[in-house]
Amino acid sequence: MSEPVVVVGGWASPFVTRVCIALKLKGVEYEFLQEAVGRKSELLLRSNPVHKKMPVLLHGGRPVCESLVILQYVDEVFPGSSILPADPYHRAVHRFWAEYADAKLHTALRTMRGMVGGDKADAAEQVSAALRQLEDALAECSGGKPYFGGDDFGFLDIVVGSYIGWFGAAEKIAGLRVLDEASTPRLAAWAARFCAHEAVRDLMPDADRLVEFGEVLRAALAANASCRP
Amino acid sequence: MAMENAAPLKLLGSWASSYTHRVQLALRLKGLEFEYAEEDLGSKSEALLRHNPVYKKVPVLVLPDGRALAESAVILHYLDDAFPAARQLLPADPFDRAVARFWCHFSDDKLGPAVGAVFASTGEEQEAAVRQVHENLALLEAELREGAFRGRRFFGGDEVGFLDVVLGCGSYWLAVFEEVTGVRLVDADAFPLFHSWLRDFESQEEVRETIPSVDRLVDYARGLRQMLLAMAAGACAPSDGAVASNAAPPSAAPPAPATADIAVDI
Repeated sequence: MSEPVVVVGGWASPFVTRVCIALKLKGVEYEFLQEAVGRKSELLLRSNPVHKKMPVLLHGGRPVCESLVILQYVDEVFPGSSILPADPYHRAVHRFWAEYADAKLHTALRTMRGMVGGDKADAAEQVSAALRQLEDALAECSGGKPYFGGDDFGFLDIVVGSYIGWFGAAEKIAGLRVLDEASTPRLAAWAARFCAHEAVRDLMPDADRLVEFGEVLRAALAANASCRP
Repeated sequence: MAMENAAPLKLLGSWASSYTHRVQLALRLKGLEFEYAEEDLGSKSEALLRHNPVYKKVPVLVLPDGRALAESAVILHYLDDAFPAARQLLPADPFDRAVARFWCHFSDDKLGPAVGAVFASTGEEQEAAVRQVHENLALLEAELREGAFRGRRFFGGDEVGFLDVVLGCGSYWLAVFEEVTGVRLVDADAFPLFHSWLRDFESQEEVRETIPSVDRLVDYARGLRQMLLAMAAGACAPSDGAVASNAAPPSAAPPAPATADIAVDI
């Protein structure tokens, strides 16, 4: 496929990070269009009119939206190492836990970071509970190997892994641990391994940068709000 | 896959669950044999709790080797993957697959909860929910008219496919809720293509075999609405029983505190 690939998104979004990791894993070259903080570009609004959210993958100009949809598209369209496992049952297990991870982690982490209202301690407990589940899922999926995907990382690694920077940022802001060696030893070791991988290293946002980013975003949104008539 | 001496596929489900219907319909469309076990959601079986400890919900597909899968969309994908010689529900082209998956998420994250909100509310809150449903239907109507699905009889093309199964097993609630709440949801004039698609979908043989009679659904819905409204009024504590949602929207904002945990199965 020689058609141009464009990712519309932001470096801080885990949903965008996971798409970039997938493209890197496949060795696909792409142009990254960074959205301005707190403002949505014409291109984004045009490409994802239903949700108006990042990421959007543009392949030969055609938009693919929703990060999990994009990951499967990237896997199906581009040759190279497979992201989803080959076995139908294992594919289903990866899909199941990917939906679980997004359902349990996304909003709770935003609450911990103060991006939405809510009790931070409750949110931290929700994240911790979900990570304990994912700890068991890792044991089952990996069968003792380094990743959810086995010898090399796959779909579920990318989905859960895309939150790692956020775990760090949320912990700093809320002052509460969620990913630690004591309660989820396998996951903690896996996270370090995942972040060190050459396809992830340059794409995983730093926790401190994310904390700073959160402040900038909040300020930008507040400025936008005060400008409205 | 040598299946001759193995137990067939087994589906744990609930007769009024649209997520269960999705799987039943998919199995029938694919011509796959299966055993069905009705779950009493007010008193869940040991098997259900063991096979789906994370959500404790139907549908659950139990495989011949005893392993199980939960979440209807996951199961639908599995059936395509595991039975490549049987009729495939997802389209072959990766971009078309992405489009189908996108609208499946839309159905589960936006349309379903909006319809559930209409059903669980009254007055101004309900009016707002109805507007939301109409906005969502308008998006689908536009795709049928001039977007990804223009000129098609079904979302899958000439034949029923993945998105038809997902949207269709749920859309029958629209007529049922209209009957029970007296609110107009699918106006044939406002949404002509959606309306005719739904009629064509419901006329399919496998669909008629799967979806319960309108009378049964209306009776069930009437009872459910009474319970939901009573809960909203604070008359009794929410229970996990018959009102249990089968796939509560993950990160959708809840419509109102009393009904937050009750995503009516759609």
